[in-house]
Parts: sequence; structure tokens; C-alpha cells
Amino acid sequence: MLSIKNLHASVEGKEILKGINLEIKAGEVHAIMGPNGSGKSTLSQVLAGNEAFEVTEGEITLNGENLLELETEERAREGIFLAFQYPVEIPGVSNLQFLRTSVNAMRQHKGQDEMNAAEFMKLAKEISKQVDLDPAFLKRGVNEGFSGGEKKRNEIMQALLLQPKLAILDETDSGLDIDALKVVSDGVNALRAEDRAILMVTHYQRLLNHIVPDYVHVLAGGKIIKSGGRELALELEERGYGWLGLKDEETADSSATSSAN
Amino acid sequence: MKPAPTLSTAFLYPAGQSLPEPLLALRKQRGTALVDMPLPTRKTENWKYSSKYLKLTDDMAISLPAEGKTGSSLAVPGYKVAFLNGVMMPEACEYPDLDGISIQSFSDLSDEEASDLADRLDSTLDNKAVQMARLNSARFEDGLLIRLKPDAVLDQPLFIVHEVTAEASGSAFPRIFVDAGRHSQITLVEEYISSGSAQVMVNTVTEFNVAEGANITSIRLNMEGENVQHIGSTGVLQQRSSRFESHTVGFGGPLRRHDLQVRLEGEGAECKLNGVVVTQGKQHYDNHTTIEHVAAHCNSEETYRNIAADQSHAVFNGRIHIHQDAQKSNADMNNKNLLLSNGAEIDTKPELEIYADDVKCAHGATIGQLDEISLFYLVSRGIGRREANVLLTMAFINELVEQIPVEAVRETVQGRLNHFFEQTFQEA
Ligand SMILES: Nc1ncnc2c1ncn2[C@@H]1O[C@H](COP(=O)(O)OP(=O)(O)O)[C@@H](O)[C@H]1O
Ligand SMILES: [Mg+2]
Repeated sequence: MLSIKNLHASVEGKEILKGINLEIKAGEVHAIMGPNGSGKSTLSQVLAGNEAFEVTEGEITLNGENLLELETEERAREGIFLAFQYPVEIPGVSNLQFLRTSVNAMRQHKGQDEMNAAEFMKLAKEISKQVDLDPAFLKRGVNEGFSGGEKKRNEIMQALLLQPKLAILDETDSGLDIDALKVVSDGVNALRAEDRAILMVTHYQRLLNHIVPDYVHVLAGGKIIKSGGRELALELEERGYGWLGLKDEETADSSATSSAN
Repeated sequence: MKPAPTLSTAFLYPAGQSLPEPLLALRKQRGTALVDMPLPTRKTENWKYSSKYLKLTDDMAISLPAEGKTGSSLAVPGYKVAFLNGVMMPEACEYPDLDGISIQSFSDLSDEEASDLADRLDSTLDNKAVQMARLNSARFEDGLLIRLKPDAVLDQPLFIVHEVTAEASGSAFPRIFVDAGRHSQITLVEEYISSGSAQVMVNTVTEFNVAEGANITSIRLNMEGENVQHIGSTGVLQQRSSRFESHTVGFGGPLRRHDLQVRLEGEGAECKLNGVVVTQGKQHYDNHTTIEHVAAHCNSEETYRNIAADQSHAVFNGRIHIHQDAQKSNADMNNKNLLLSNGAEIDTKPELEIYADDVKCAHGATIGQLDEISLFYLVSRGIGRREANVLLTMAFINELVEQIPVEAVRETVQGRLNHFFEQTFQEA
């Protein structure tokens, strides 16, 4: 489904991704792990088409189609979905308006009729329950005043609404308490399907206890330095990134900045 | 023809013959005072960003004839007053029939009533700060006097349509005086529209005399055409515990100027001033507001938003003057601006003068562009660029549009905004 070959990307002239190769087939769940600052969010944003990042080399195809030639909105309509590490607050646009506009843009692209306000409200209420968000949130501004956990659940809600072909989840587990982690991972598991691929980006392996990946990759210094099955995640948990020849402080949460979105 | 540095004598044009004698006398007196009146220039502080847009040629001096039909864009049931080129059109009006409320054209006033009014016209305005309003006082052909007796309540909004018919060059001088008695209430909508395409000037003055405990909501919609230079002044005088709420929505033009002056004279008075301005092409719009905290324990809250696209130019100047005796004043002024193009210009200036020591006064002004990260978030959900731009631009003013307390006005505003969005944002 998704094929990444020798992908190099820079931001503000600084090279972040230094030759990524990755193949993901329909039905598979891949996890990308790696220390802070290793380029996980950069990879996610590049896949979604953020123009702040410049692809300098390599190719990305989705079902054989050159993704790099598509605008962000076209990629979304082709089935790419990115759950942001830092979902954006947009006061003045209600969640309801945002979600309905999005769903209808997708429907229009597929040649389906737009959903009217009442139909959409019914659907949105159902799905908000699935991710344990009070439907009252629909009236509020997009992510406005949401807690970290609510923002992450809203991202999963959007994935459930839009039913993408490829869902990229950038640290959707970070900042969640145990209950919220359960809600989010139930949502992600509900997304698992024969015709859908999931790419989970995470710093910790705890999410992988709930969502069992088929493959695990370690990203460091802008390259995938190791790939394996789910046991790789467990090994990383036990031995830390140091075991892979990375300095332990690189794995620390503190110093590295992450401003990819 | 070049604009003269002083007001051309052509503008001291005698007319207004249908007015009662005391008002004619007032006009004459005001007109005499206008001989050699300096016109605003770049060096005039309160016009420095806008004087270049003011182009008064002699052919615009004559009063436009009050002939023809009017049509509001607000097709709503309710009370209506229609003015054509500054003159009331009785056949297009629907007055309320309520005790304690009188709505009259200046021409219909008795000499006694007119004499009383003549004493009070201009009393709410600081004429030094609104020099162009003086031209209205010298030239009004007619006007609207609204009087509310104590406790009178107008049960529905009053829609006042001011239309200018620009078949030929000329000017119109709409005038309104509202005298709101103690604890009276009214919501009124002033809508300024135009037809025809000749170069014209509309110079308006609206005054509110607000007695103790009265509650006024004033909505002002400026939607005139690209051939209309509009200079409007609104004066508000508030007594104890009264409330004045204003919503102004303006679309740009070759020259658009609105001065809003509020004087909080009685303790516990409060005002809330909201304003939205949208400009595109080479349009201009300038809002100047002044809030005078004269008495103690008064509140003022002001929120203005400008959106400027293309090569347009928007100006906001907000002055708050807290007088020495105005202890416990609470003033909050906020102005946010959105530039939709590199060629657009926005000038914003808060002016605070505080002479009392125990006051709360907050102000903030920002100028920014649409947020790239928000845009990316929206398009990453399949929303088209054009629609994403519209959502974010609308988000910038939504809060203010939603606060307009009359649905018909919100719809009209939304319609005009949609038109603006269509012209401003193209599909990628
Ligand atoms: N917009 C940006 N501008 C400048 N540097 C950036 C930007 N986004 C990310 N970076 C840099 O790129 C590197 C990788 O960041 P990121 O992809 O966010 O890592 P991760 O998600 O793995 O923590 C970091 O050094 C970070 O500082
Ligand atoms: Mg990250």
C-alpha cells in the first residue's frame, strides 16, 4: 500500500530524514519507535504533505500513485490520515462544523451526496461516544480548551469518521492516563481492517501492549536502524535505546524539541 | 478637479427648505462657521491614514434629490423607516403604534419641537474630533427624531434604511437623533446602502441621548457601493446606570470613515462596542472610537476586528479617556487584525489617557495572517484550501457576528461575507 524509498527531507535547510525505506501492506500495523528528535514527526508530516518540510530525495507511493505530487488535501482524500502529535486549536470554528466539512469534502470526492446537518449530528454523536467524548464538545471550537487526552481522542474520532486507507498516529499515546489509553487503543483496534494500514509512531512501548503491531522499526538520526517483529519493542523496553548504540540521553524526554507541527 | 485645502464654498449649498424655521436657522449658523474650514490632510492627526482617500470635488457639493424608490436588503417584518438621500420617505415606513414612542421626520416637527431639538443637536459630539460632522449640521435636508418616554420599550427592532441614489454626483446628509428617556429600551438598525454609480458623498450624524437606566442597542451596517465616500459620526451621551451596545459592520469603499464617541457621564453607565470591518481590492475603512469615562464606576468593553485583503487599507484608532473623577472605571479595549495579502495595510492605534488612579484598563492590538499550522490541519482532513481559508477567516470574526442580536442582520452580513470570500479566495 505505502512504499517509501530513500526518503530525504529537510526543514529550514537542515536535513532531518536521511534515507528512509519502508514498505507497508494493507492490513498491517507498523510501529515506528525512536528517541526524541529522531525524525518521527517529520516523517509523519512529510507523509501528510506539510510544505514546511522539503523532500530533497527519494519517493513515496500510495498504491502505486506518486504521493509527492499530491497536495495535502488530495492525499487526505486518497485516504491518508495523520493523527497529529499536537492537535491544533482553532477557536471560532466549531468541532461540528470542522468535522462535517471534512466528512463532506471526502464524500464529495467519492461522488457521494453530502450529509445534512441532522444526519451528521447523529453519526458524530455515536462516534464521540465510542471515544468517550461528551457530545457537548461538538459545539466548542476545534480542540479549544481540550485537555491533552481529549485532543488525542478527538484525533481518533476523526480517524473513525473518515475511515482512511492509511492511518498515521503520531504519539497518540503520549500524555494519556491508563483509562484514556484504553479508550484510544480500543479506537485504534476498531480501525484495524484488511484493507487498511496503520503506522503508529511512539516513544514508549506501552501502547504496543494494547495494539499489537506486526512490525516494529527503530528510527534514529533520520534513518531506520533496525526492524523486527513485536518482540523488538519488548527488547527496547527492557534494554533501552542504548543497546542499539544510541546514547541514553538521546532517549530522554527533556532536551530534544519537537516542533514538527 | 483637485481637492481644496479648505472646504470649497460650493459645499455651503443652501437647501433644506422643508425644515421648520428653528432648524433652518441652526443650519445657517453652522454653515457660516464652515467658511474656510480646513479639510483634513496627512498632517491632521485623526485623519493621517485616511485623508488621501477623501476626494471632495465641487460637483459632489449639491444635495442629491429625494426622488425615487428605496429598497432595503433587509427584507424583514418589523418597524421600518426609509430615507432616500437623507430625506424621509413616509410611504415606505412602518411605524410602531406604541405609547410613549414617537418617531418623526424633522420636517414634521412643530416650531416648538424643532426649537427644542435645535438646542440639542451636536450636543453628544466633540466637534473638534469629528470635524466632518460639522458639514452634516450645515447641510441636513431632513432627519429622524426618535423619542422614548420613560419606561417605553420598543418590542421589535427598528430598521432605518438610508439609501443614496447616485444617478448623478452629489451628497446626502442623513441625520438621526434618539432621545431615550429613563429606563426606556430600543434596538435600532441603521443600514447604509446605495444605487447608481456616480461619485457621491454620504455624511451622516447619529446621536443618542441616553437617560438614566435606559438600554440602547445600535446596529450599523455599512454596505454602500464603490462610488460612495462615507463619513459617519455617532455620538452617545450616557447617564447613570444606562447601557449602550453597538455593533458596527462595515464593508470597505473608496473612503469609509466612522467616528463613534461615547461619553459615560453618569455613574454605573456601561457601553459595549463591537466592530467588524472587511476590505478588499483597493478599498479603505477607518474606524475611530472614543470612550470618555467621565463618571466613576463605569464599564466599557470594546472589541474591533479588521480583515484586509488585496491592496486594501483598514484603520482602527481607539481612544479611552479616563477623567480624574472616574474612579473604579473598568475599560477593556481589544483590536485584532487579519491581513489576507502582503499588499494590504492595517494601521491600529490605541490611545489611553488616564487621570484617575483606581481604574482597570486593559488594551491589546495585534496584526497577523492566517495561521499556516491551522490551515495545514484543516486541509489534512481533506478540506479544500479555499474552504479552509474561509473557515479560518470566518473564525476570526465569528464571535462578533454571532453577537449581533438581530437574525436578519446576521444573515445579511453573512451573505456579504460569502461574496467577499468568493472574490478573495480562489481554489488552489
Ligand atoms: N519546523 C521545524 N523547524 C526546525 N527544526 C525542526 C522542525 N521540526 C522538526 N525539527 C527538528 O527536526 C528534528 C526531528 O524532529 P521530530 O521529527 O519532531 O522528531 P521526533 O518526532 O522523533 O521527536 C529535531 O531536531 C527537531 O528539532
Ligand atoms: Mg514527534
